[in-house]
Amino acid sequence: MNDQTQISREQRIEKLQGQGCNRKRVEDVRFTQGKGNYVDDIKLPGMLFGDFVRSPYGHAKINSIDTEAALKVPGVLAVITADDLKPLNLHYMPTLAGDVQAVLADEKVLFQGQEVAFVVATDRYAAADGVDQVLVDYEALPVINDPHKSMDDDAPTLREDIAGKMEGAHGTRKHNNHIFFWEEGDKEGTDKALADAEVVVEEKITYQRVHPCPLETCGCVASMDKVTGKLTVWGTFQAPHAVRTIASLITDIAEHNIRIISPDIGGGSGNKVGVYPGYICSIVASIVTGAPVKWVEDRIENLTATAFARDYHMTGKLGATKEGIITGLSAHVLADHGAFDACADPTKFPAGFFSIVTGAYDIPVAHVGVDGVYTNKAPGGVAYRCSFRVTEAAYLIERMINILALKLDMDPAEIRMKNFIKKEQFPYNSALGWEYDSGDYHTAMEKALEAVDYKGLRAEQAENRAAFDRGETRSLMGIGIAFFTEIVGAGPVKNCDILGLGMFDSCEIRIHPTGSAVARLGTISQGQGHATTFPQIIASEIGIPAEDITLEEGDTDTAPYGLGTYGSRSTPVAGAATAMAARKIKAKAQMIAAYLLEVHDGDLEWDVDRFQVKGNPEMHKTMKEIAFAAYSVAIPGLEPGLEAVSYYDPPNMTYPFGAYIGVVDIDVDTGVTEVRRFYALDDCGTRINPMIIEGQVHGGLTEALAITMGQIISYDEIGNISGGSMIDFFLPTAVETPNWETGFTETPSPHHPIGAKGVGESPNVGGVPALSNAVIDAFAHKGLTHSQMPHDHWRVWQTAQKLGLTE
Amino acid sequence: MELIGEQKINASREVVFAALNDAEVLAEAIPGCEEIEKISDTELTATVVLKVGPVKARFKGAVELSNLNPPESYTISGEGKGGIAGNASGGADVVLVEDGDGTLLQYNVSVKIMGKFAQLGSRLIDSTAKKLSAKFFEKFAEIIESKSAS
Repeated sequence: MNDQTQISREQRIEKLQGQGCNRKRVEDVRFTQGKGNYVDDIKLPGMLFGDFVRSPYGHAKINSIDTEAALKVPGVLAVITADDLKPLNLHYMPTLAGDVQAVLADEKVLFQGQEVAFVVATDRYAAADGVDQVLVDYEALPVINDPHKSMDDDAPTLREDIAGKMEGAHGTRKHNNHIFFWEEGDKEGTDKALADAEVVVEEKITYQRVHPCPLETCGCVASMDKVTGKLTVWGTFQAPHAVRTIASLITDIAEHNIRIISPDIGGGSGNKVGVYPGYICSIVASIVTGAPVKWVEDRIENLTATAFARDYHMTGKLGATKEGIITGLSAHVLADHGAFDACADPTKFPAGFFSIVTGAYDIPVAHVGVDGVYTNKAPGGVAYRCSFRVTEAAYLIERMINILALKLDMDPAEIRMKNFIKKEQFPYNSALGWEYDSGDYHTAMEKALEAVDYKGLRAEQAENRAAFDRGETRSLMGIGIAFFTEIVGAGPVKNCDILGLGMFDSCEIRIHPTGSAVARLGTISQGQGHATTFPQIIASEIGIPAEDITLEEGDTDTAPYGLGTYGSRSTPVAGAATAMAARKIKAKAQMIAAYLLEVHDGDLEWDVDRFQVKGNPEMHKTMKEIAFAAYSVAIPGLEPGLEAVSYYDPPNMTYPFGAYIGVVDIDVDTGVTEVRRFYALDDCGTRINPMIIEGQVHGGLTEALAITMGQIISYDEIGNISGGSMIDFFLPTAVETPNWETGFTETPSPHHPIGAKGVGESPNVGGVPALSNAVIDAFAHKGLTHSQMPHDHWRVWQTAQKLGLTE
Repeated sequence: MELIGEQKINASREVVFAALNDAEVLAEAIPGCEEIEKISDTELTATVVLKVGPVKARFKGAVELSNLNPPESYTISGEGKGGIAGNASGGADVVLVEDGDGTLLQYNVSVKIMGKFAQLGSRLIDSTAKKLSAKFFEKFAEIIESKSAS
């Protein structure tokens, strides 16, 4: 027998490095040595470089584009404009939301930074010099930068290309600048519940426009091989297969002749889901020149022209009894989608999963309505480290419930406990149509309150407030609670698709004769650590050590079809496919083992890494032995080889949840806000790798801190973007980032093969309301019910000043 | 952005008004002005190098004089294109008030800046515009005073 018989069962389990262990990230060996392979690392012989001429105007007519001087710049080979793309029908491209977007501006520009011309040159510097020499004659037009004014009677029509077409991708448009109206729930019932409620609170809550700002900007290298007719594109794609299909549909290149490769990706956070003009222009330029063409954005281009997030202008209304039991919720959202509707949502959900807005609470009746409008801002509307519009929804309900608590003079923790969906109510059908899979909210909340000594904190806050009033301190303490329910893992093909492509995902596993394996998935890691965690799932399922399993993703020529990584969907969907593919292998392995041991299948049982005869564990075959037999023994009725593929269509979403508590100290005279303490309890179901979960939570909380405390992309009245560079856009460093404390409960998903729910986005969803609630709580006793984010020092100081607290 | 200010000049309104219409004087007084060409009595073209924060660009543009009401007031306006750095447009209403032997020049400047200048320099534009306006009118006063002295 082999050496594994000599070691104990515990040692065999440990050797697998399977589910639940803190396996170290295998990716980090190359990342920490600077050996990652990102798009900008790709260098091909004869490669050319592209760069964009971009609009300085928010809204302007293009009278002419003069490329003559640019073409005289040494090294410049071509300048592509909309007129060059028109004969190819490529001057517009479809967006993920059923709209079209100009690849290069066609007769007018609609936002500052919009792509106007693409200069192709022999090196990056020559391309930039060429851009400088393209003369565009603009005629300024009136700008709409406030979504509340988009549908005014006298508002200028922004999208002349679709003016008068009142049937949009999501129903009837009410105005030329209107995109869609979408609603869910019982309007009549909700209106009645609110009219009958003993207490009603209403608030306008804006979630400001921000940007995911991944460390690596977007880019690609397009290479058309004129001999084979094959187009290869390396790019920062969070959904490589979808990009291949879309590229085939819009270029008419047969899909088998397109190969999309996502190499290492330096962070995505939703920013790399969409299709950008740079990809199309690079492909066209490569086809025209016959040479590979690289396009990589600079930071300003990334912040100003690629997909933004949020920009939701919400009005919430909550009805309740005097005892604080919520009786109804209504919400209306004015969604600013910018100049083109390029929102990355499942097709049937133009406002994403915003209808998760009833949150963790048992709310009997609710209604939401969302109006999407055009403005002179960059397109986008991506899920910046949150599932589709979930963070907006969580922010609204978690602010509204605090406002209700304030009105009723109740503790924010107590009012939440009163309204939570109870453990025994799961699976729970929400008023807005979701079936929550599992949860135990009371336990999670109690554990979090205990972890931070909540009562002690409130006592300390009472003392602090008294001391402030006595003039003994100029600092106010705020405590913020948020309890969120996420909805991730999109999703069931019956209602979730992107451009018609069902949102299943996939895994293919091949076991090699010597018992090691390769697994290929339809997803793509952007830092989530897939190469570490997915082999852990396989290890626990079929007893091959994680270190003996190679994980491959991102190459459409080799990976099975999948919809990619965003919306915390990798573990809920591709993770499930991985377990299911492994189980197919296990089923065949059992037949092989039965043949080798000369027993019936049913006489065998699985144990860690082997099949053994029931009641006689000495008689067994390890997975390693079975693998070799699969390639060496002729077994009657069985094909040789040991591999399987699974395409997993999830029966439901998963619903991770968490209880977050933050404590801040605010200097009222300067607005300087210190996060003294932050505790995050997450329940993401079965935990595959606790260390990676903790890392994900740290990263997401840091992004939540960034959004809450400083990030904003704003526009001035003439269409200039501010916050479009690192001078203004807040990206926290170690200096601003507090020590994150984490905790967990574990409530498995009943419908997921291994019970996992996904975690990558929870900290953003819960972190933003917890921090915002903490800042507002600091002033609650002085009469503040709400103040808009970001809570940067300047705005916090203004709040203190308005309340008459500053000296 | 709007800027309001005034500048005392030790010369008569007529002398100041003439100088405000004198391309050579303007060229000398405008910070970063490389060239001014007179097209007609009320039209000029100018090339100005401007630096705001991290962005430096050469603006080429047309300047127009209007609302001429000698020697009391006029409006100077213009639009300049700075390539990828962005565009700027703006104007100034200038009023001359007799002030003893001299003239009090009152100005009301409004500026619109587009593109990279606005993106990168937004926090610097107000202070830069104030500084440049003050610099212009100080220099302008100095030129007139030295001319009338000589």
